[in-house]
Amino acid sequence: MTDSKYFTTTKKGEIFELKAELNSDKKEKKKEAVKKVIASMTVGKDVSALFPDVVNCMQTDNLELKKLVYLYLMNYAKSQPDMAIMAVNTFVKDCEDPNPLIRALAVRTMGCIRVDKITEYLCEPLRKCLKDEDPYVRKTAAVCVAKLHDINAQLVEDQGFLDTLKDLISDSNPMSINKLLTALNECTEWGQIFILDCLANYMPKDDREAQSICERVTPRLSHANSAVVLSAVKVLMKFMEMLSKDLDYYGTLLKKLAPPLVTLLSAEPELQYVALRNINLIVQKRPEILKHEMKVFFVKYNDPIYVKLEKLDIMIRLASQANIAQVLAELKEYATEVDVDFVRKAVRAIGRCAIKVEQSAERCVSTLLDLIQTKVNYVVQEAIVVIKDIFRKYPNKYESVIATLCENLDSLDEPEARAAMIWIVGEYAERIDNADELLESFLEGFHDESTQVQLQLLTAIVKLFLKKPTETQELVQQVLSLATQDSDNPDLRDRGYIYWRLLSTDPVAAKEVVLAEKPLISEETDLIEPTLLDELICYIGTLASVYHKPPSAFVEGGRGVVHKSLPPRTASSESTESPETAPAGAPSGDQPDVIPAQGDLLGDLLNLDLGPPVSGPPLAASTVQMGAVDLLGGGLDSLIGDTNFGAPPAAVTTATATARLGAPISSGLSDLFDLTSGVGTLSGSYVAPKAVWLPAIKAKGLEISGTFTRQVGSISMDLQLTNKALQVMTDFAIQFNRNSFGLAPAAPLQVHAPLSPNQTVELSLPLNTVGSVMKMEPLNNLQVAVKNNIDVFYFSTLYPLHVLFVEDGKMDRQMFLATWKDIPNENEAQFQIRDCPLNTEAASNKLQSSNIFTVAKRSVEGQDMLYQSLKLTNGIWVLAELRIQPGNPSLTLSLKCRAPEVSQHVYQAYETILKN
Amino acid sequence: MISQFFILSSKGDPLIYKDFRGDSGGRDVAELFYRKLTGLPGGESPVVMYHDDRHFIHIRHSGLYLVATTSENVSPFSLLELLSRLATLLGDYCGSLNEGTISRNVALVYELLDEVLDYGYVQTTSTEMLRNFIQTEAVVSKPFSLFDLSSVGLFGAETQQNRVAPSSAASRPVLSSRSDQSQKNEVFLDVVERLSVLIAANGSLLKVDVQGEIRLKSFLPSGSEMYIGLTEEFCVGKSELRGYGPGIRVDEVSFHSSVNLDEFESHRILRLQPPQGELTVMRYQLSDDLPSPLPFRLFPSVQWDPGSGRLQIYLKLRCDLPPKSQALNIHLHLPLPRGVVSLSQELSSPDQKAELGEGALHWDLPRVQGGSQLSGLFQMDVPGSQGPPSHGPSPSAPPLGLGPASLSFELPRHTCSGLQVRFLRLSFSTCGSANPHKWVRHLSHSNAYVIRI
Repeated sequence: MTDSKYFTTTKKGEIFELKAELNSDKKEKKKEAVKKVIASMTVGKDVSALFPDVVNCMQTDNLELKKLVYLYLMNYAKSQPDMAIMAVNTFVKDCEDPNPLIRALAVRTMGCIRVDKITEYLCEPLRKCLKDEDPYVRKTAAVCVAKLHDINAQLVEDQGFLDTLKDLISDSNPMSINKLLTALNECTEWGQIFILDCLANYMPKDDREAQSICERVTPRLSHANSAVVLSAVKVLMKFMEMLSKDLDYYGTLLKKLAPPLVTLLSAEPELQYVALRNINLIVQKRPEILKHEMKVFFVKYNDPIYVKLEKLDIMIRLASQANIAQVLAELKEYATEVDVDFVRKAVRAIGRCAIKVEQSAERCVSTLLDLIQTKVNYVVQEAIVVIKDIFRKYPNKYESVIATLCENLDSLDEPEARAAMIWIVGEYAERIDNADELLESFLEGFHDESTQVQLQLLTAIVKLFLKKPTETQELVQQVLSLATQDSDNPDLRDRGYIYWRLLSTDPVAAKEVVLAEKPLISEETDLIEPTLLDELICYIGTLASVYHKPPSAFVEGGRGVVHKSLPPRTASSESTESPETAPAGAPSGDQPDVIPAQGDLLGDLLNLDLGPPVSGPPLAASTVQMGAVDLLGGGLDSLIGDTNFGAPPAAVTTATATARLGAPISSGLSDLFDLTSGVGTLSGSYVAPKAVWLPAIKAKGLEISGTFTRQVGSISMDLQLTNKALQVMTDFAIQFNRNSFGLAPAAPLQVHAPLSPNQTVELSLPLNTVGSVMKMEPLNNLQVAVKNNIDVFYFSTLYPLHVLFVEDGKMDRQMFLATWKDIPNENEAQFQIRDCPLNTEAASNKLQSSNIFTVAKRSVEGQDMLYQSLKLTNGIWVLAELRIQPGNPSLTLSLKCRAPEVSQHVYQAYETILKN
Repeated sequence: MISQFFILSSKGDPLIYKDFRGDSGGRDVAELFYRKLTGLPGGESPVVMYHDDRHFIHIRHSGLYLVATTSENVSPFSLLELLSRLATLLGDYCGSLNEGTISRNVALVYELLDEVLDYGYVQTTSTEMLRNFIQTEAVVSKPFSLFDLSSVGLFGAETQQNRVAPSSAASRPVLSSRSDQSQKNEVFLDVVERLSVLIAANGSLLKVDVQGEIRLKSFLPSGSEMYIGLTEEFCVGKSELRGYGPGIRVDEVSFHSSVNLDEFESHRILRLQPPQGELTVMRYQLSDDLPSPLPFRLFPSVQWDPGSGRLQIYLKLRCDLPPKSQALNIHLHLPLPRGVVSLSQELSSPDQKAELGEGALHWDLPRVQGGSQLSGLFQMDVPGSQGPPSHGPSPSAPPLGLGPASLSFELPRHTCSGLQVRFLRLSFSTCGSANPHKWVRHLSHSNAYVIRI
């Protein structure tokens, strides 16, 4: 007797037949009938009409039949809640059956019937089963509590199920780390995963504890279940952060991590892929773990394509001088395979190797030339794109290959390859005899080209003109008129106009702008941003590590999503602060060096929306400024390694500035700024003394110190620039990275005269808050790039939050009361301000001048309570209750805000204001 | 954790569908999954997919899709492990896993799922534990007979009894009918190695690695203890030295958690009390340092005349196994330039077969004895061969799209690492009088055996 025939019956009277069979007297026949019903259910047929008949079969001693009926119930109870009630009695009875299997079955099924009415009947049997003598029943009942909680959380709490559950966990302190570690050796593999994930959230007190946990977790690395292995890797990667690198143990741990990761690569392709995505993260964080394991990432002939591409990526990340020969030989093989996507990526990888490992550049170029000789269309195009990057990285080194490239001009049909080729022709126009002919040939189909190619062609022809003005006048006029008059694309038009204007007004300046020396391109453009990487490391072995996105990006509603960060490195002598007061990893206090390396910041700054903000105070248009803006724009732009050189996206603004060239230079605006910074701090909010933000050693002699002020509604950044170098500094410009409150310079940085050695200049840079917003860690972190004629420098600083308190931050009393009640209590934060012997009046006045307004005052039992409100520039209201006890120098501050993450910083602002 | 689990046939029909948490949009999800899977552009990873706050994770197992969905940020490893564990479990209980057995045993599968997962949380995946809860019996397609000699295994089993294990014996449900005691006492122990080799065009060995595992399928009553003795010269790691000869060396070993290693250090004996069902006792791997010569060497020579488009390939295949051993089902796959048409072939022996198909040359050899050498000469035309002869690639360079050659084969009774099972001993206390049958098999097969040309 087989079940397969159940799938084949599709006759009309089927339901009718089944009905008859279900009501049969014979047990065997009943069972077969229920099986048929379930088979139909699985393939999606509607058999809900049989509900009463099936439920009738429930009264049976046959466990097998009972299970089948319960299976049916789970499926249809939701659509037929009234009928489901009929079954309740049987459930309750089954919960007291002598057979533990039946008891468990009944409890489990009841939990799966998601009908509100049933839950009421469920409570009593559930309570009994939680205290059942049989462990299997208890376990099932415990899971049932979770199900019930999902349906009706209030009920679970009211009935005290949570306490019963806690009793089930016999240990009084379940979170004790030692207990967890012991349990690790005792429970099943699936339990081990939970325990390890839990451990990863624990923050060890010091490096000794971290080491001892690592020691006990390490044996899990050789577990057969890869999920256990990865969870163990996660714990180790996280806690390693706390260990000192000099420690012997650190080295041992590094060695131990490699073999399990390598082993994962011999699993099924699905697991391999997930493992590779994780290894990709690990390699970026700690390349030393796998640096000797290059061979395992060689692509296998029969790997699925998604595994191949992932392996290729990791190979490039691991490429170094030591193994580059091996890697190149492999890549060259891959470039001759059949799969087009893979071949393209392999060619690109060769280019990336050249840029990453300087010693290999020559071999890479010759490899690429070999590939170009194959004349396979997509290989050639891909090779040309990467050769362009190699030219950028090593200028004036490999230009001998240009002739070969030019031979392939006709076969290029992809925009990216065409744009790259045009860039090369324009950049090296003086060495290509027929550059004008080549570019002219592209110009014929100008309007059919993609924007990328059009822009590139425009720039290339202007470059050519500047290099060989005599022969190419006609060509440049042709392209300028094509770009400005016949094009609908604003980018293209603006770029056309600006070139036109530049060329017609000042060809020398044009030359400086268009043919300016380009900064070198960065070595690795595709690295994951360090902060994101650190967060992702905390999520190793989860879906986040496969998508390379933080969980908040894809988990619904952000439920249970906490931003995780790696623990800071500590010595055992000092203990870390508790996580409530300071988020781990975030330095407290005004440390100007939040960002360790310039290189890391580079990536962030490149994402900037370039160009000075347009919506601030009107631009003071002067030629000097315009040059500065343009250079900065152009410079940063080409840093991206993109193909848009010369004309920056800022062209729109610059173009408007150009249009106003004739207008008298208005110096009124800057006078005004001088005035305000001169009048100083008497009437405005508190201003901290200037601190050194960028020491001279780090910025080739430029020292920058500064502070933030707020004067009658405008924020400014007061800067003091000191030239400690031996050469004159000019061409200053400033740019902010995206930050939490959208702070951005409202005007360009105006340093009127060149800064000669040992000279100091003070100036005030007006800021506005209309820049692009990105949440920073810590919240008030501001990353700044300053450029002068020498270089671009990066630093970061923390701004005091009170410069963001706006003048209309006083809330109406009624409104205050309502809002205070409305904000949930968990958003309330309480702080102590110590050693601040102020009376109520003085405190209130002091705060008022920094735009913290007292809404109401109340005296209770000798304490004064001040109710205050303030508003941030982005419209966030913060409500405060300040408790002052005469004679007690400590003040208590309670803050309520819908965005609780600002509380910490508001508290700091209070403290600074009150203490100064 | 897991919101839904379903099994789809290769055509996308749902065979099994189970919703654990009631938080998802019903069975349309299965259809959605299949649409998404089949509509994938190349290159994108189909392992983990994301749609509408729901993540799909799936594996393919003998033509079936086993899919789990979740809406949380869980460990994809645990889901993948669970899916493959489920595949093993279903195999254990239904005999083997395929469309037929699943649709015959719907009720049993649901019952299993109920016990393995509750509210989406894994409860247990051990065959042994689950035995206590499962009521339904598996429905097997045809009655199993040990003496059904028409289905003799691919390779004979080497056992003391020197009898032949029918290949279908191992694909029998663990929980076959309770009444039938006599068939229960059987143990299958397989040492299986997968060989990956990469040989450069100049014949030098670029990479070689061996992944091996010892698999056990036991029908013995649980609780019976068994000893597996491995080759005594077996060494783990680069430094360890055992025996007088070069030893049998592997880089890394991992064991199943139920294996008792007390006697492993001294005598290389694994002691365990296996549960009924399948179990991977030991996994090991070694790379770069193979004790025996590679089983096959391929000597290709290619003549390519871009002017006429004539391509001539001469392949010589040498089998370096010991003369008594043999390789079976050798298949050589050689990708060819696009558009290759005519083929004339000269093969060294009549039982071979070669044909063109799907842009590649397929050369099949049913059986090759150790030490022997075979060859084939293939001629074909590449029409419209690009590049005028004047400045095209040099005549000696092979045309694009040719190679690399890959070989697949089976080596019965041979392990590349040299690891052997010395003995398999059962200590019997409870079980009945019948002497259990023990089948020990050794097998190597190719994973990726690639020779560049």
